[in-house]
Amino acid sequence: MIPAAAERPLENAMMHQTIRSGSPTLSDDRDVHLRLDGLTKRYGDSVAVAALDLAVPKGELVALLGPSGCGKTTTLRMVAGLITPTDGRIVVGGHDITVMPTYRRDMGLVFQSYALFPHMSVAKNVAFGLEMRSVPKPEIERRVKEALAMVRLEALAERKPRELSGGQQQRVALARALVIRPSILLLDEPLSNLDAKLRDEMRNEIRDIQQSLGITAVFVTHDQVEALSMCDKVVVMRGGKLEQVGTPVDVYEHPETPFVASFVGRTNRLEGVAEGDGRVTIGTMEVRVPGRPGGKVEIMVRPHRMRLVEAGAGEDAPTEGTNRLAGRLTRVTFIGDLLQYHVDVGGTEIVVEAASDHGRGFRKVGTPVAVLWRVEDTMVFGRSA
Amino acid sequence: MTALAAPTAPAMPRLALGRTGTAIALLLPIALINAIGFIVPVLNLARMSFNEALAGGGVREAFTLANWTGLFGDSFYVELILNSITVSLGITLATLVVSYPIALYLHRSSGRWRTFLTVLVISPLLTSAVVRTYGWIALLADQGPIVSGIAAMGLTPPRLMFNTTGVVIGLTEILMPYMILSLLAGFGRLDPRVEEAAMTLGAPPAKTFWRVILPLTLPGIALGCLLCFVLAVSSFITPKLLGGGRVFLLATEIYDQAIVTLNWPLAATLSMLVLIIFGAALTAYARVLRAID
Amino acid sequence: MEADNTSVPMKILVGLLFLFLLAPVILVVPISFSGEQILSFPPESWSLRWYAALADNPKMISAFWTSLMLGAIVTFISLAVAIPAAYVIVRMRTYGSTFLYNLFTAPLLLPTIVLGLAILIVFASMGFLGTFTGLIIGHLVITLPYALRVLATTLGNLNLACEEAASTLGGRPLTVFRRVTLPMMAPGIVAATALCFLVSFDEVVITLFLTGPRLTTLPVELFHHVESRADPLVASVSVLLILLTLAVVMIVDRTVGLSKTFVK
Repeated sequence: MIPAAAERPLENAMMHQTIRSGSPTLSDDRDVHLRLDGLTKRYGDSVAVAALDLAVPKGELVALLGPSGCGKTTTLRMVAGLITPTDGRIVVGGHDITVMPTYRRDMGLVFQSYALFPHMSVAKNVAFGLEMRSVPKPEIERRVKEALAMVRLEALAERKPRELSGGQQQRVALARALVIRPSILLLDEPLSNLDAKLRDEMRNEIRDIQQSLGITAVFVTHDQVEALSMCDKVVVMRGGKLEQVGTPVDVYEHPETPFVASFVGRTNRLEGVAEGDGRVTIGTMEVRVPGRPGGKVEIMVRPHRMRLVEAGAGEDAPTEGTNRLAGRLTRVTFIGDLLQYHVDVGGTEIVVEAASDHGRGFRKVGTPVAVLWRVEDTMVFGRSA
Repeated sequence: MTALAAPTAPAMPRLALGRTGTAIALLLPIALINAIGFIVPVLNLARMSFNEALAGGGVREAFTLANWTGLFGDSFYVELILNSITVSLGITLATLVVSYPIALYLHRSSGRWRTFLTVLVISPLLTSAVVRTYGWIALLADQGPIVSGIAAMGLTPPRLMFNTTGVVIGLTEILMPYMILSLLAGFGRLDPRVEEAAMTLGAPPAKTFWRVILPLTLPGIALGCLLCFVLAVSSFITPKLLGGGRVFLLATEIYDQAIVTLNWPLAATLSMLVLIIFGAALTAYARVLRAID
Repeated sequence: MEADNTSVPMKILVGLLFLFLLAPVILVVPISFSGEQILSFPPESWSLRWYAALADNPKMISAFWTSLMLGAIVTFISLAVAIPAAYVIVRMRTYGSTFLYNLFTAPLLLPTIVLGLAILIVFASMGFLGTFTGLIIGHLVITLPYALRVLATTLGNLNLACEEAASTLGGRPLTVFRRVTLPMMAPGIVAATALCFLVSFDEVVITLFLTGPRLTTLPVELFHHVESRADPLVASVSVLLILLTLAVVMIVDRTVGLSKTFVK
């Protein structure tokens, strides 16, 4: 059943009222707070979300990551009740809430556009959810103050949203969603409208608040940096389907498909034929890969796991466990913290990244070079074409 | 004068409404008023044009074409119809000529000045047709400034009241705001850089106007002309008051037949004719639009 | 700011044309202060007699109050009817919305002379001629489309996410409408109010068909007055009407800003 928290009797009472009127308990895993079973959304002939299965344990922050149109926002809105699923179930704390109307779901949703009520002050915005739950006035005042303090905006309580900056509006939206102490926090690309510096700050703030409250949260984003840095689990989606679920390290180091590999982090890609004994032939060259795959394969290596050396230098004597490809340097790009070397390897462009070092490391375009990387850093995927 | 530029449906984001029952209940009042005040009356009017008029102002339910044939057989009415159409065309042209420069100037201005001028253009629309027509009576009357002014210069002043001339002048001014707004809407395609391009390519101002600006603004011109034509052909207050009962146009005749002679079938027939003329104008407009693109 | 690249002759031309545009409305003001018995310009003498004559004219005064009351009632009903209708049409899930919107704004496409006659004939058999109720319905037929247009546009431009947010915070549909949607529609509602009132107050053609010997509105009374004689009395009424219109426009400007309402 719903875990009782003795210090929050009122909210539990509300939640009991709202969720209890759903269908009977379907419990198995005590730990799973939010479960999606075969969740599907079809619009006419097109499928936005295809039979999605997902289990989110209590207190975890899960990122739905993917390119636009992959169905992540549709999934979130179905969980919130703003979109009716075509098929499948949404189960919260053992209760099937698939057909429950939005206003009874006890979830907090932070919108991409913040969606603050323009005609109400910041304090009244935050108080709204509590008013809907008939919380007595003095308690509303106390909790609004608390929530605003949590996002450090107590001083702006009487301002109107239009007087606030983007970052401040976003924090009000967060406070408004959290003050009602929802069972689940939903965030729909809350950081995309902020500038880079602010985004970094807010990422950490949201993560800290989520962890201190121990609240289960689902976070939609197309930015892999946000997904990797903030979340306990990453759910990579594409075309309405789930590509991979795992911890950030899992998803980054052990991608299960080429799409996941190239979407979460930068990659270089080579095509070749695997001989079945750990060797892969790429045109006239040969590399070694982990395992013994066979047939046509795609090889991916991350740019920062590669090293660039001059072709004729002494250090290029091959060592066991290292791959080496010869090529020609076509471009050097300096982007501040990194130097990117573009190398032509047998017709394919490879990018090697190195940390910049006081202006050193600039080589002449056209120099014959060699690209080195560890065998274990190679990601191999089967190829159909 | 109720019709402003052709309305388009607004952007409609959707939100779950719940039961259809609620939707129907909320739409009932407006549907009811629409039915009683619009649909039923207009259908009834069409039906009325086929009824038989009795001497002394009664109506007998029938299905006769007498009203229609009588209309086209009577030279008075044929002249009335042709007159209404030609006068309206003339008014439309005149309104176009005097409105175009204002619209162009307005289009080129911006900021508070532009808002101020736009409000100035719209403000006459917010006063009653009677007030505006009265203003013209004051201007065009024999004791008014124009006539006295011309007489003071020693010339024989023309009669500007109680004739078609007065009606044309008054109606032209009254319709200007509609034309200006339609032109402005159509000016959207007119980018000032296009004019600059023409000038850098060596075109003198007059040529730039005829070869570049005018063609680009044709859609706005077409819309404005349609709007003004239909408003002119159905205009009642101004012809009635400025014409003093001596100018006979479609709208004044409808009113007289309905209220004075009590020949409702004839009045209905004339009304249907007005709608037919509307339809013809709309078709012409659609054709012009297709030809432009 | 100004159209600096316009030539001087062009500016003069535009200025003259603006004068032409505003001439009648401007001219009415000095005439209202004429001391003459008949309409003439320039008048030989000046006085306030025609404003005083207004106070002594019971027909005009009662017509004024009728127009005022009628305008207020029609405006109120228009809003009460058009707001729910706009909500359904804009938020409805099916595609009948466009059809319904076009149907309910269609009365604006018809010339008032035709509409007036059509309503006259139907009202005659229903016994609504010369009644206040008949006038209300007759005015509603044209104010409703205006109100619907303004309100539907306003509603369509609202950020839907705010209503969704209110819903996720526990607001039931009616509460969301009352606490979030309506307040956010406020500028549109003010504009619709002003529009409905002015349209009703100035309406003359349809009203001509629906008034009777004992019931008349100010524009209709003015019409009959001008029909029989043209004297400066109409000018003084006109000036007051223009001031009334200006007052309404000022109120709209103060509350929501003219540029937002009219320059769309």
